[in-house]
Amino acid sequence: MSSSQMVTLTTSDNVDIQVERAVAERSILIKNLLEDLGGESGEAIPIPNVNESVMKKVLEWCEQHKKDPPATADDDSDSRKKSTDIDDWDQKFMQVDQEMLFEIILAANYLDIKALLDVGCKTVANMIKGKSPDEIRKTFNIQNDFTPEEEDQIRRENEWAEE
Amino acid sequence: MPGPMPPMPNKDDVVGTWGFLEAGVDRIMTDLREGMDMKTYMALYTAIHNFCTAQKAVSGSGGFQPSNNRGGAHLLGEDLYDHLTVYLTNHLKHVLEESRRHVDEGLLAFYIKEWNRYTTAGQYNNHLFRYLNRHWVKREMDEGKKNIYDIYTLHLVRWREDMFTQTHDAVMNAVLRLVEKQRNGETIEQSQIKSVVDSFVALGLDESDSTKSTLEVYKQHFEAPFLQATSEYYTRESNAFLQENSVVEYMKKAEARLEEEKTRVNLYLLSDILVHLNKTCERALITAHSTRLRDEFQVLLDNDRQEDLGRMYSLLSRIPEGLDPLRSRFETHVRKAGLAAVEKVAVDGDSLEPKVYVEALLEVHTQYQDLVKRAFNSDAEFVRSLDNACREFVNRNKVCKGSTKSPELLAKYTDTLLKKSSAKMSEEDDMEKSLAQIMTVFKYIEDKDVFQKFYSRQLAKRLVQTTSASDDAETNMISKLKDACGFEYTNKLQRMFQDIQISKDLNSAFKQHLEQTFGPDYQRDPAYIDASYHILGTGFWPLTPPTTPFAPPQQIVKTYERFAMFYGNKHQGRKLTWLWQLCKGEVRANYLRTGPGKGMAPIFQVSTYQMAILLLFNDAAENGGNGTVSYDEMAEGTKLAAETLDPSIAVFVKAKILIARPEGAKPESGTVYALNTGFKPKKMKVNLNIGIKSEQKQESEDTHKTIEEDRRLLMQSAIVRIMKSRKRSKYNNLVTETISQIKSRFQPKIQDIKKCIDILVEKEYLERIEDSPDEIGYLA
Repeated sequence: MSSSQMVTLTTSDNVDIQVERAVAERSILIKNLLEDLGGESGEAIPIPNVNESVMKKVLEWCEQHKKDPPATADDDSDSRKKSTDIDDWDQKFMQVDQEMLFEIILAANYLDIKALLDVGCKTVANMIKGKSPDEIRKTFNIQNDFTPEEEDQIRRENEWAEE
Repeated sequence: MPGPMPPMPNKDDVVGTWGFLEAGVDRIMTDLREGMDMKTYMALYTAIHNFCTAQKAVSGSGGFQPSNNRGGAHLLGEDLYDHLTVYLTNHLKHVLEESRRHVDEGLLAFYIKEWNRYTTAGQYNNHLFRYLNRHWVKREMDEGKKNIYDIYTLHLVRWREDMFTQTHDAVMNAVLRLVEKQRNGETIEQSQIKSVVDSFVALGLDESDSTKSTLEVYKQHFEAPFLQATSEYYTRESNAFLQENSVVEYMKKAEARLEEEKTRVNLYLLSDILVHLNKTCERALITAHSTRLRDEFQVLLDNDRQEDLGRMYSLLSRIPEGLDPLRSRFETHVRKAGLAAVEKVAVDGDSLEPKVYVEALLEVHTQYQDLVKRAFNSDAEFVRSLDNACREFVNRNKVCKGSTKSPELLAKYTDTLLKKSSAKMSEEDDMEKSLAQIMTVFKYIEDKDVFQKFYSRQLAKRLVQTTSASDDAETNMISKLKDACGFEYTNKLQRMFQDIQISKDLNSAFKQHLEQTFGPDYQRDPAYIDASYHILGTGFWPLTPPTTPFAPPQQIVKTYERFAMFYGNKHQGRKLTWLWQLCKGEVRANYLRTGPGKGMAPIFQVSTYQMAILLLFNDAAENGGNGTVSYDEMAEGTKLAAETLDPSIAVFVKAKILIARPEGAKPESGTVYALNTGFKPKKMKVNLNIGIKSEQKQESEDTHKTIEEDRRLLMQSAIVRIMKSRKRSKYNNLVTETISQIKSRFQPKIQDIKKCIDILVEKEYLERIEDSPDEIGYLA
């Protein structure tokens, strides 16, 4: 497989995007598909669940990370799960509006790009970390629908987690 | 025929979604060769993704549920998983029905074709259902649900349950028939068997961890019947073959079969089977017939069939305890061969040449050592059997009735090798080879002390009489003995060597001394006798002072006294004892000069005793008279005892130098001797210093006698050594330890050790402990 081989992706809003095969294969979905079907035909790959603007953002990330060790089917190492550290480039990359952030997470999940999904989730986690429930509600624009009694009960139940 | 895919289903609709998926899965399962386009592929994946994510929002916003211990969103997918399971079962039902229409190789071909198609489809489906794998399946498995597998494993599980359980017997029978055909020499489609093996291996799923596999299915359903069939096949074949063929032929056959099975493993079996397959074949081909094989062993040995023996060895070495009976038979055989060889040469009786004897021993050893090397792969156990056998026949055979004849003869053989005269074989290589051979026999000698005794006596003689062929060979031999028995064993031998070296220096110092005292022309003095001397340390040389009195002839007294004085000045306080019995000289027989200026007078090489006898004739001639010397005059003049004098005279008479009167008279009082002036020597030098037979025999008896004494001392010193370090010891331990300390020299008898302990107690070196009767204590 030559590294400069190109594939075409057709987004949900019907835009064709040319991209290096190695970059596209950060997505396990695309990687498996190309392996199963050969991918020599030049046929465009339809991506019915991702639109152009999100796809471009995702591919930007893939381009940046194309030299990373190939994603394995089940990479669940603890270090990756526990740490909320995000490297500088990814941090900058994730400085987008909330809607785009969630779109990226959904796309990463659909396309099966685990590392990107992790970065997205960690970014959200960092937005929550150290905030009071009210602050969190404000951040994500959530209505408080608990009664004061319910809140009291929850606090008691979660006492062990405080301090 | 790939029809167009139905439209994308509604994501909330289970029936619709499965209907959509089923069409795709079916195409993958039955029609993959027609190919699949990307659109369909993505549509299937997306349908699953959408279905699994569809209700999440709904479920997630269903309000807070504090009682929900799953602690997260409910994951969708179970419906799809169940539908797929049912689909696979149905699919396999058809495949199974279809398979019933095939038998043997046809069945194999069908099974393999379906298996390949099914597993390929399984890979595809695994990818398409990856979203299900990643979320719903993963969650179920994380929670420890049994019987939930990733999609590919699900395929294998279904195959195993719905297909394999019904067909494996028939498939395996077909495989076994194929293998039997191949064993019978037919050509078969081996790749089929390889495929079946791979398929059975793939079905070995570890129920506790789906990422691992086990060989269980393969072992139970392939390996076991395969080994069973193999065993039956070879049991049948080997029995039939042995009915009609010789054991030798059978061994060739078995060897070939074993080799063949080994290559079979590489061709289409799992390498894992090799050990078991070997064992199975070995049981049927070797163990089952091992008695028959071993019965042939003696026949092969008797006929020296090295190649066949090698074959038997390599066959029997493969089974447990296969060789043990052979080893003891081999040992017995070698021992008998050795004894027979000795028996053959023993007919020579006392006149048996040491060389002949040693060569007889060596020949047997060489032959069977060679056999062990070539046929028995230098197997350490066989080497030991060989050693045991050799030790037996070297130490206990017809020639060595007692047990000390072997070391004696070996030492004598060594002497003939190291002596100057011995043929012209002094080529260094040959010498090295011969010495190495001697060491081979030496290794087996139990009474190494006897060898040492004889060897040191003969070495002494070689050194004193300067009959040693080469210093290098002597040193070589001593260092070989040292390697074998240690420093102590050769200590005295080395000291003897040193003495000779020192004596050489001493002689030249003496010559210098003479020059300084008498001027450079001291040799011109008519009374001068050219003499050289060996000074031998009393403790190191196995030599004893002469047994007979002797009056040295006047002619040499002055010469040797001068030396004695010189030596006395150099080393004050040392006592010199002259070993006349070892001295020798040369006298010129001027009376045999034939005519003036005509030729030289012959020279007689004689012992000092003989010299003294001959010089009496000078005196007789000077005193006038008739030039004869009577026996009594000889006895008077030399002071020699009769047992030395008589044989010395006999040599002269036999050599026709002296003539006895009356003719043929014995050496006794009344007999008179005259010089035979008509003596015509063949050579200018006549050696008359010939060892006397009876003397040699006497010597060998003496040697044996001293050995007994030496052994007693050796045992005693070992006992004292042990007790000195132990202070106290149990009686039996002391005996055992003594044996282990000296068995490298000889095999002590327990009786003798006990006697030695008694002596030491008597001498108050040791004591019996009073309140502990079986203990011995050391007295400082």
